Amino acid sequence: MSSATTSSPTATARPGVRPGLGRIVLLILAVAALLYVPTLLTERAIFGHRLSNMQLLNLGLTQINLMLISMLGALSLNYLMGCAGLISIGHAAFYATGAMAAAVTGTQLGWPFPLVLVAAGVAGGVVGALAGLPSLRVRGLYFVLSTMAVHYMVTFGFLEYQFRVFDVVGIPFATPSLFGFELSTPTRWYFVLLALVVLTYWGLRNTLRSREGRAMLAMRDHERAAVAAGVDVRVLRIKAFGLSSAIAGVAGALYAYYLSNATAETFGINFAIQFIAMIIIGGMGSLAGAIIGAAVWLLLPSVIGGMASEIGPMPGLLGSLLTEHRAQFVQLIFGVLVIVLLIFAPGGLVGLAHRFKALFGRRSEG
Amino acid sequence: MEQHKGKLEIARRAALGLAVAAAVGYGVGSVKAQESPADGVTKDRIDWGLLMDMSGPTSASQSIWVAGFQDYMKKVNEGGGIFGRKVNVLAEDNRFNAATDKIAFEKLVGQTPVIAISGMGTSASQVALAPTIKAGKVPIVGTYTSTSALSEPVTPMVYNGFCGYKQMAQAGVGYLAEKTGAKAPKVVTVAIESAGGKEYHDYVAEAVGKLGGTAQLISVKVTAADITPQILELMAAKPDFITIYGVANTSILTMKALGQYGAKIPAFGITYLGAPQIFKAIGPEAGANYNFISCFTPGGADASAGNAEMSAYADKVGRGAMKEDINYVAGWVVGQMAAEALQRTGDNPTRAKLVETLSKGFTVDSKGLAAPFTYTPTNNTGPVVFKMFGYDYATNKFKAFGEYADYAKYTK
Amino acid sequence: MFQQVLFSGMALGSIYGLVALGFAVIFKATEVFNFAQGMFVVCGAYLAVTAIAILDLPFPVAVLFVLVMAALIGAVIQSTLIQPLAGRPILAVIMLTIAISIVLRAGIEIAYGPPARTLTTPMPSGGFAFMGLMISKLHLTAALVSWACVILFGLFFRYTSIGLLMRATADSHEAATISGIRVNTMNRLAWGIGFTLAAIGGVFLGQLQIVSTELESIGLLALPAVVIGGMQSIPGAVLGGLLVGVIEQLAAAYISPKASDVAIYVLLLAILMVRPWGLLGQRGINRV
Repeated sequence: MSSATTSSPTATARPGVRPGLGRIVLLILAVAALLYVPTLLTERAIFGHRLSNMQLLNLGLTQINLMLISMLGALSLNYLMGCAGLISIGHAAFYATGAMAAAVTGTQLGWPFPLVLVAAGVAGGVVGALAGLPSLRVRGLYFVLSTMAVHYMVTFGFLEYQFRVFDVVGIPFATPSLFGFELSTPTRWYFVLLALVVLTYWGLRNTLRSREGRAMLAMRDHERAAVAAGVDVRVLRIKAFGLSSAIAGVAGALYAYYLSNATAETFGINFAIQFIAMIIIGGMGSLAGAIIGAAVWLLLPSVIGGMASEIGPMPGLLGSLLTEHRAQFVQLIFGVLVIVLLIFAPGGLVGLAHRFKALFGRRSEG
Repeated sequence: MEQHKGKLEIARRAALGLAVAAAVGYGVGSVKAQESPADGVTKDRIDWGLLMDMSGPTSASQSIWVAGFQDYMKKVNEGGGIFGRKVNVLAEDNRFNAATDKIAFEKLVGQTPVIAISGMGTSASQVALAPTIKAGKVPIVGTYTSTSALSEPVTPMVYNGFCGYKQMAQAGVGYLAEKTGAKAPKVVTVAIESAGGKEYHDYVAEAVGKLGGTAQLISVKVTAADITPQILELMAAKPDFITIYGVANTSILTMKALGQYGAKIPAFGITYLGAPQIFKAIGPEAGANYNFISCFTPGGADASAGNAEMSAYADKVGRGAMKEDINYVAGWVVGQMAAEALQRTGDNPTRAKLVETLSKGFTVDSKGLAAPFTYTPTNNTGPVVFKMFGYDYATNKFKAFGEYADYAKYTK
Repeated sequence: MFQQVLFSGMALGSIYGLVALGFAVIFKATEVFNFAQGMFVVCGAYLAVTAIAILDLPFPVAVLFVLVMAALIGAVIQSTLIQPLAGRPILAVIMLTIAISIVLRAGIEIAYGPPARTLTTPMPSGGFAFMGLMISKLHLTAALVSWACVILFGLFFRYTSIGLLMRATADSHEAATISGIRVNTMNRLAWGIGFTLAAIGGVFLGQLQIVSTELESIGLLALPAVVIGGMQSIPGAVLGGLLVGVIEQLAAAYISPKASDVAIYVLLLAILMVRPWGLLGQRGINRV
């Protein structure tokens, strides 16, 4: 089984395993931990015992919330890339589309927040389906480049919209409220975002297990076979692109609302590239990988930065790196870590975990 | 077999959990000494925060500002600190990104608390954070750029620390109109397409309008490699003088191109564009027409006490090359401002006490690095008196045109 | 006005073409779509600053220094970082090149400090009038040197034995291995050449404006240039560079400077839809 898991699309898919008592306990513990996170990070103490900044890994709740929003993007991208075999640098564009739709419906028309999110999802999905059209004609690297072109077009549209309708400093977004529940504190945001991430994860997992999902996997692995089996590969591909972009659109609206101000610069090409980085770090093709990758990408720089400032005065070159060039030093370490990971862990962190598991499994059986 | 696997899984996770717990436990013992109190003030230390771009697209100027601030505080600490406390500068890198800024801001408010924050160089973040700052407890003492969203209406939580765009436009336009003798001057603003560019141009147009002249905005790309189309447009407009808003590259490309096309039109850049590298890159011929308007005096440009003190200290700590950069001076002056604020707050400062002291009004005397500037309960504009500077290529030094006092009339 | 804009676009495009050529050489040999090419341009500019402003070398020696160092760094990057990832999915390799540019940027900013650097060389500056056009001498030099490099490399690939070996290796690694060509050496050479061409572009861009890591985004215009011209085609890269330069300037002149990026990418999308293999590329190799 262990060799099959490595290529399976979702790390969690384990048919035949009955949830034992241990798993249930673990699940309850995990839920409890997730619910405790906002209290932990705002009070910065664990059951009354005060923790230092570094013991909390230099993390704050804002960072966790932004990470959750990124997870939505990473999940949808990994669904698209890993599971449908399409590669895209267009995610910043779909975030921007969602933010723009939110600006029109929310800021300009004053729609209620849930409707704004729906509008952002629809807008993201439509633009995504359009952006997926080149997949009818080109594949691989060429398709990546077509999504890059889409990126520049959408961000140009955003810029024009922002400059014409709003102030040059950006588009303002009011504090949203969800059925009377005002998202005015990071803690409230956290629970809403957490619910959305869990929902998205669960939804995407089920989609993958559905008939269409299996057809899509077939399409990824053996396109000709899928065609022979009567699956219309082209439609499926564009559907997948639309779904993925719709999720990114919602995430973009959430991002804009969370920051309360959005500019065209927010959604630059680096913003798009970070999602690719996340799924590569986590593990391409695995939803769990998307979660892990987003967490690493969003949290690691801050952890490194916190450590660098905690170490204190050091002599010589390292000292000057840690004080005068800390910002660059953090980037340097981060870049090197990504390179090391790419070279030594081809399947990302999830792949690495599977390799360890395989190693352990063989030993215990042998 | 599946059962077996499940148990193994639990065992592994338990082991992992124990390892993490052990690591955390180890941490509890070792770092407790560095615990930060709520307002960033301990027996022997005051934590002061900076929020600036130190590895992003504007880091070339913003990290020099950070260096200026840090160096002034080092000097204060060498002199015994403030009421016996050392000022510890926590400089957070926002990478010119609003999301990173929000994270860093939260960090400075709650995770590693500071008594006050300076800098805030990203205007988009200022806009995003403005409501939080105004309703919060941590004052922003000395901003690097001023947006109306943050500084208007006047609030006891925000004090501008850089030359304002409005006064830059007024002083620069007033001075060059007088110098060129142009009646009803025609002016072109060359600006990067950004938040501040249009705002600055509006101020220029207002100042030019008062003189009965006209102003035209020509936009350029931030990362352009050549701006020939815009320069042709500019030359066709036949302006009496030009003003430049943007990054170093904007000044360099504009002045170099004008030189290549043989146009000798006087130009002045905004304060941020006062760096020796810009003049060196433009070269002596075209550089003769280029000036910048500033409320700060670059290092070595005059012999005031403040300038001598700053230059000597910068040389001493090996930052001699930075002292001529206006961003370094601006950081240094905001350092003076921060020290003055802490000094006035007295022994045992807290955030609340600091805000209370500042809101009553105070004056920063930079000993000649800038004209003394005053904050009152109804005015937090900061430095408003300007001077034009050019570069003397023979001596490799900045030269000032006149005294600060001569320019007061333009910004009244 | 039009001719003037066209000339500046061609001059700029020649530099892009040079950088794009470097990109194409790397892509042809190792199939790596190199997002670090923009940072290679920055490296070239800083190498020139090192040679001229820091080491104070005489200009011809400085040029040699830049060329040799650039080639070395390119080869080292290939053998230490790129080679271990041979045969991996394109996305992983793209990410690797992005990570390389993150590391290079941080390294440069640590080594040279935050202020931008000025690059002054004995190359001609100023301008002269020619047939109603104002010609900037530096632009003209940049264009001429770029073309000289392009021609030189064209001859190198076509007529020298190493060039032939490189082409043979690029066409088929297996066939090359069978016929005893050391594929890794050839790939290293390709990266050295690719890096060097980017570096030369960087020296000019650094002089046209100022040397800072922000030059990266200009260098990255080589990407659309290569795709427009045809990724497997050396003359295509040069043509693509020229087109990108001209479109950039025309869009800035007649639409708005904001529109220059989007104009380039609209063309790129159109090319992808109509002729995915690029203007001068060969049909049938659009599956990567």
